[in-house]
Amino acid sequence: MTVHTPIETRSGGVPPWAIGLTVFLFLVGGVYLASNLAGENPAFAIPGASAPVASGGGEADPAVGEALVAEAQCAACHGPDLGGGGNFPSLLGVEEGPVSDNLQDLAAEHPEDWIGLWIDGTVPETEGLERGGMPAFGDQLSPEQIDSIVAYLLSL
Amino acid sequence: MTVNPKKLRPYDEPPKRRRRLIPDGPDSAATGFLVAAAIWLAVATGLGALAIGLRLIEIEFSVPLLFDLSFAFDGRRVDYAFVNATVYGWLTNAGFAAVAFMTPRLLGRRLAMEAGLNGALAIWNLTLAGGIAALYVFDLGPHAPLTAFPWLIDGGLAFGAFIVTAAFFMTAALSLRTAYVSLWFAGVALLGLLGLLSLNAGLGLLEFFFDLDELPVALASGFVERAISVMWLLGITYAVLHYVVPRGTGQPLAWAGIGMLSFLTWLVLAPLAGLSAVADASVPYVITSVGIVATMLLLVPASLTVMNLAQTMQGRWTLVFGAGTAAFALVSLAFLFGASLLEAIGALRAVDLLVGGTDWERGAFLWAAYGTFTFAAFALAEHALPRILRRAWGGGFLSSAQLWLTFGGATIAGLALMGGGMAEGALLGQGTELEAVGEQLLVYRATAFLGFGLVALAGIAFLVNLFLMYTSGERADYAVPGQSATAAAGH
Repeated sequence: MTVHTPIETRSGGVPPWAIGLTVFLFLVGGVYLASNLAGENPAFAIPGASAPVASGGGEADPAVGEALVAEAQCAACHGPDLGGGGNFPSLLGVEEGPVSDNLQDLAAEHPEDWIGLWIDGTVPETEGLERGGMPAFGDQLSPEQIDSIVAYLLSL
Repeated sequence: MTVNPKKLRPYDEPPKRRRRLIPDGPDSAATGFLVAAAIWLAVATGLGALAIGLRLIEIEFSVPLLFDLSFAFDGRRVDYAFVNATVYGWLTNAGFAAVAFMTPRLLGRRLAMEAGLNGALAIWNLTLAGGIAALYVFDLGPHAPLTAFPWLIDGGLAFGAFIVTAAFFMTAALSLRTAYVSLWFAGVALLGLLGLLSLNAGLGLLEFFFDLDELPVALASGFVERAISVMWLLGITYAVLHYVVPRGTGQPLAWAGIGMLSFLTWLVLAPLAGLSAVADASVPYVITSVGIVATMLLLVPASLTVMNLAQTMQGRWTLVFGAGTAAFALVSLAFLFGASLLEAIGALRAVDLLVGGTDWERGAFLWAAYGTFTFAAFALAEHALPRILRRAWGGGFLSSAQLWLTFGGATIAGLALMGGGMAEGALLGQGTELEAVGEQLLVYRATAFLGFGLVALAGIAFLVNLFLMYTSGERADYAVPGQSATAAAGH
C-alpha cells in the first residue's frame, strides 16, 4: 500500500479581498511603470572593475572612467544621467567650462586640466575653494584613474 | 516438516540483502540532501562571519600553487564563497530535499529515479565544493557571486539540477494538472534553476572560447544572480511553506484559490524581476523599469501567501510558542513579508541610487536567505526528518537555540548592514571622503559581525541536533511511501 496523504483545502475560491488587493497593487505598479517609461539608466557598476584599474595605470580610458564614476556613486548627487540634481551641477558639457561660480577662476588659470584638479581636490591649486559637498578624491584615486574619469566626462 | 530455527545451517538461511553502492530506498535521497544541507549550513555561516569580519579588517594574501596558479585570499573571494555556500550549498540542498520528500507523499507514488537522485546528490555537492575552492584560485572577472564558477563547474551543477528535475517530472508530470499547489511551485522553480544554470554554463563556455566584453558578461551575470533568487529560492520556499503549514498545524489549507493566485502572480512576475538587475545606460530604460515594477509587485504573492497560511494556522496558534514546524514556518512568513517589502522599496530608482553598491545589498540578502528561505528550510527539516528517520527530535533546547539564534542573528546582522548601507549612501551624498565613510561604517559592520556570529552558532546547533537525533533519538513511527502503512496521520 502506498501512502497518499493529500492536503485538504477549506475553500476552493478566491475571496473578494484577495482579488481587490491584487488589482490594487497591480494598479500601483502600472502607474509607476507609466511614469518610468523614458529616461536613461546609470552606468552598470561591474563587480571587481576597480581592482585591475588600481593596479594598472597607463593611458586614460573612458570605459574605466565610466566604471569609476559608477563605483564612486557620482550619480547620487549629480543625477542618474549625471545631468545635475538639486544644488549639484550637471556633468554634461564640462568641456565648455564650469557652470559653478567657485570654479571659474580655476578653469581660467588651468583651462586644460581644471576638471582633474577639481576631482583630485588635494592639490595646492584647489586650496581654499568652497567644495560644496564634493569629496576630494586625490587620496583614493590614482592620477591615471582621475584622468580616465576626465576622459569619460569629456566624452559625454 | 517443521524446521528448528536453532539448527539452521548457513545454506538454510535466507540470503542477506546486499547493500547497493548507490542507495535507492524510499526517502534515501531526501535524507542525503538534508544531511548535506545541514553540513553546508555550518560551512556557509562560518564563511559569512568571516566575510563580514573582512569588511571590518581587510586581509589579503596570496600563496603560490602548482602550474603558475596561486591561492588568493581577499574579502571579495570570501564573500563570493559565502553566497555560493549559502545558496547552492545550504538552501538548494534543502530545496532538493523538499522535492524528494513532498512529491511522493502528495502523489501517493514512489519517487522515480531514487538512485539517480542520490547520484545527483554526489554530483551536486562534489561539484560545488570544487567550485568554491576554484573561487580562491581563478580570476573572478566581472561576475556576480552566483555566476563566478568556471564553466565546467556550472555544467556539473546544471547536470545535477537536470537529474533532480527529471526525477520530479517523471514522478509528477501526469498528475500535475490536479496536483497540490506546492508541486506547481516546485516544478516551475526546478525548471527555472535548470534553465538559469544552463544559461550560466553556456555563457561561461562562450567566454572560454571567445573574448567577450566585460559589460555584457556582467549584465547577464547580474540577471542570472537575481533570477536564481526569485525563481528558484523564492519558488521552492513557497512550495515548502504551502506544504509544511497545513501539515504542521494539522489543518486544511484555508483557500486553494489564493494558493493558485499566489502561484500565478509569482509565475508572471519572478522571471521579469530579474530584469531589474540589468540597469545600464546601454539597456533600454523601459526594460529596467519593467524589472523594477515586477520586483515591487512580488509583494502580491508574498502578501497573499502570508494571509492564506496565517488563516490556515487559525485555531492552532499555541503551536507557534514551541520550537516546532509551525514556529519556524511563522518566522519564515514574517521574513517573507518583510523582505518582500524591503525589496520593493530598494527597487525604487531613487532608493537604489542611494543604497546601490553599499552594504544594504548584503543586508537585504541576509534577510531573504537567512530569514525567509532558511526558516522555511528549518520548518521542512523539523517536519521531515522525524518522518524519514523515524526518530523524534532529541533536545528541545537545541531546537529553541536554532530558532532564536537564527532569528536574532539574521535580524540584527541584516538591519545593521542595511542601516550601514543607508548611512554610507547618505555620507557619500554629502561628499564625505571614502576613508571617513569607512570609519563611520565600523560600528554597523561590527554589529553585523556579532549578529551573524549568532547565526553561525545556530548552524552548529542544527548539525548537533541532527546528529543527536540520528544517534540517540527516541523511536517514532511514521508511514513511509512505498511501504505498508497504518499510521498515515500527520504525514
